[in-house]
Amino acid sequence: MIELGFPILSALIFLPMIGSAAVLAIRGAGEKVIRYFTLAVSLMVLILALLAYSPVLQSGVGAEFNYVEGPITWLPSLGGLDYLLGMDGMSAVLVLLTAFLSVLVILGSWDLIKERQAAYYFLILLFEGAMMGVFTSLNLVLFYVFWELVLIPMFFFIGIWGGPRRKFAAMKFLIYTHVGSTIMLLGFIALFLFSPSHSFNFTDLAGQIPFWLQLVAMAAVFWGFAVKLPVVPFHTWLPDAHVEAPAPISVFLAGLLLKMGGYGFLRFNLGLFPDASREFASFFIILGIITMFYGAFVAMTQKDLKRMIALTSVNHMGFVLLGAFTGSVIGISGAIFQMFNHGIAIGLLFMLSGYIHEQAGTRDITLLKGLRKNMPRTAALLVIGSLAAMGAPLYSNFLSEFMVIVGAISTDVRYAVLMLVPLMTVAYFLWMIRRSVTSQPTEIRKHDLGNRSTLALVMYIIPLILLIIFPFLVLNVVDPLATVYANSFLGVTP
Amino acid sequence: MTTPYILMALLGGAALLLPVLQATTVERFTRRSAGYFTIAVLLAALAIVLYPVVSFTAESGGPTSAVFKSDLMALFFGVAVLLVAIFVTITSLEYQQDDPNISIFYSLILFTSLGMTMLAFAVDLLMIFVAWELMGLPTFILVGFRKKDPASSEAAVKFFILGALSSGILLYGISLLYGVAGSTNLYAVVDAMSTLSPALMPMGVVAIALLIAGFGLKLSAVPFHMWIPDAYEGAPTTVSTLLAAGTKKAGFVAAIRVFLISLPLFQMDWTVAFAVLAVLTMTLGNVAALTQRSMTRLLAYSSIAHAGYILMGLAVAPFTSLGIVGALFHVLNHSVMKSSAFIAAALVAYKAVGTHLDSYKGLALRMPFTAIVLTIALLALAGVPPLNGFWSKLVIFAAAVEGWPGVWWAPWLALAGILNSAFSLGYYGWIIKRMYLDEPGQTSKVIEPIIFRIALFIGVLIIIITGIYPAPIYEFARMAAASL
Repeated sequence: MIELGFPILSALIFLPMIGSAAVLAIRGAGEKVIRYFTLAVSLMVLILALLAYSPVLQSGVGAEFNYVEGPITWLPSLGGLDYLLGMDGMSAVLVLLTAFLSVLVILGSWDLIKERQAAYYFLILLFEGAMMGVFTSLNLVLFYVFWELVLIPMFFFIGIWGGPRRKFAAMKFLIYTHVGSTIMLLGFIALFLFSPSHSFNFTDLAGQIPFWLQLVAMAAVFWGFAVKLPVVPFHTWLPDAHVEAPAPISVFLAGLLLKMGGYGFLRFNLGLFPDASREFASFFIILGIITMFYGAFVAMTQKDLKRMIALTSVNHMGFVLLGAFTGSVIGISGAIFQMFNHGIAIGLLFMLSGYIHEQAGTRDITLLKGLRKNMPRTAALLVIGSLAAMGAPLYSNFLSEFMVIVGAISTDVRYAVLMLVPLMTVAYFLWMIRRSVTSQPTEIRKHDLGNRSTLALVMYIIPLILLIIFPFLVLNVVDPLATVYANSFLGVTP
Repeated sequence: MTTPYILMALLGGAALLLPVLQATTVERFTRRSAGYFTIAVLLAALAIVLYPVVSFTAESGGPTSAVFKSDLMALFFGVAVLLVAIFVTITSLEYQQDDPNISIFYSLILFTSLGMTMLAFAVDLLMIFVAWELMGLPTFILVGFRKKDPASSEAAVKFFILGALSSGILLYGISLLYGVAGSTNLYAVVDAMSTLSPALMPMGVVAIALLIAGFGLKLSAVPFHMWIPDAYEGAPTTVSTLLAAGTKKAGFVAAIRVFLISLPLFQMDWTVAFAVLAVLTMTLGNVAALTQRSMTRLLAYSSIAHAGYILMGLAVAPFTSLGIVGALFHVLNHSVMKSSAFIAAALVAYKAVGTHLDSYKGLALRMPFTAIVLTIALLALAGVPPLNGFWSKLVIFAAAVEGWPGVWWAPWLALAGILNSAFSLGYYGWIIKRMYLDEPGQTSKVIEPIIFRIALFIGVLIIIITGIYPAPIYEFARMAAASL
């Protein structure tokens, strides 16, 4: 367990939040100032995240909670309601992802967001802070507070800066996810009241929950996580929200918001309810497989480039669910690794779809022709992004999907059928590339990305390549935790 | 001990003085000063109520033969209703400024405040009835205060008839109880009930049913809720605030006292009744709110729904100590949230933007401050963390879950409550959507008067601070529940 002399996790949460309040304070200073200010704040957060990440990596303590802050009692007479933060391997990876994507989203918003910028950047930083809170809270109520706080900025992002059907999409998103979350809260309350430790603290609850309570709580929290991940058939908010959201916000949605669901499944089902999860593992695995196949099949039929990418993430998040419930070390670390890789690869694709929409005026795959001639940089990046998303061995996505499938096959050889999923992904991506990138343009009209946008997009690729060469940069953080989870899942005491 | 008597002298004296002042001084002088005078009196009353709390001199639990008991429960409700009265008076400074009978208006507010606080302190059935009437009668006049407005008069008549009916039912219940128990003091009633002969039991049950009906009318529990939307819509919106956030809450203190102190013998009878009432009330409130086209009606139905959450706390009260705590906590939070939302709606109506929901389209551009406050108040009402409404709902739902080994339906009650709460974001979110996402019909900026801004700012500040640091108010509610 690592301790620092300074509350780094609180800083990760509240630096963006204070920054967002500051954005409101300087809203008269001009849009340029606001943008640079927001970028500076997010870069500071990224540095903090790296500072928190590297000791966890170096000393291999991903299995335990580091930098624990608190417990500071919040409501003294209602026991177990504390301000308690901590960071284990999974939190560390997702915090780093949040910080990294926030910087890129702010860079990507530079050219794409023109209206009500002060409000926009205020919400961006608020979202980032809330996200950090979700991934580092060790108290269930604190976790729920941040979990719900994420909704509000996202509602306004989609509703104000979105496309033509944005109001519908924003309301659907809000109600869908809120209903799931409240049922989850009921599960938290049951855990608090009926567990012997009588606490909301994650660390007090782990290993203390009787089997019947694990079942009850698992049934309740399932709704919250299944909507967020999303698990088919709770995914219908996702294509609407994605299609209407502006491109940078889609990056947040797919890159971070969906990870809340994956995080929840891993943290709760494996960390708190290992016995109940073992009993119902096949249920979750089947859900995961349905989600993967469904996402891939539906993505194949899409004409809208962005809708296709959105459904790809349904497909890819199925891997996370599957990997988590294989209960094997390689499957669980593959699931966490997949969350990181997917967040970055999908971010690149969503940003590209945003630029393509802006430059070419359409996202219809059948109308986009000859991007190779007209938008060479965009086309090159689109091919790279597609390769990453389809799991080509050049990028770390390959490794994480491979790990999940190996994990699955190691529990039951019949899961070899899952090898079909990456194949289907390859099919629809190649089809998209053939139709929009390599086809002949109907007219020659050069228009392409500026240098700054290109640079921002190239930054997405760096970690993907870096991590296939040096996968230990993430796996060394994740593996100790995966080992602990796999042991408790299998009922082995090490 | 002396707190209720001091309040009686202060609020009653001020209420009697105001019309005299108007008759004897220059009109222009009274018009301005009457409002400030009322605020000063109410603030003084708030200080008097808070004094025993901060100096720990509140009466502790245990039976008393007196008419009043100034325990923490009474003081808690005193704080809640006086806060609402202050909010209403501040906004009336602007809202009612052209009214010729302004002193009468403030005088009536003081009288009803006196009634509400007396109700909080009363532990004698007759005193409860007197306070009930003192609270009710001025509000009938306040609802119909705009004599020339037919909607206002109609609302007043409806309200009066149902109010009179509820008083009659209540009085009948009280007289039956007196006939059975031989006393009107709540604690004496408890003693008498524990030795009641079985032959008199049916009469006791009828008395309880009548009391539930009598209180239910003011609490807006289904099926006694019909008058609420009409009255709130017809009344001046500031008065609606007083009704929704003030008098209704005072009704709860009477219900809590009567049912928890004097009727533990009939526990099973009334917990199931309250649970069914709670579910019906919140479901009807939420479903009806979803279909409304007028902001005041929507808020009226939303307050019916919230009465349902509070009833949920009462229903599981015998099985868990969290029940009453949650109910009390929610009473205070709801007072603040609902006042803020109603005041924002009053401002929008006052500035002639309208009460129809469509007139809220694009409000964020026309009245940015009001829109932000209304958004925060609505999110708090929906129970979104970290605002105050979240915490009290959390406690209420936890109470319902904790009732489980005691009664089998408790977790289902919790599930019904939490689904209702989730569902309610549907219509609250719809208003937020109108304000922020829709384009306004007109784009002209609307001036937001400073008095309204102050009231709204105080409200939103309480919502956020209680949300981030709920401990003091939660502790107050917990000790108040323990003092019973």
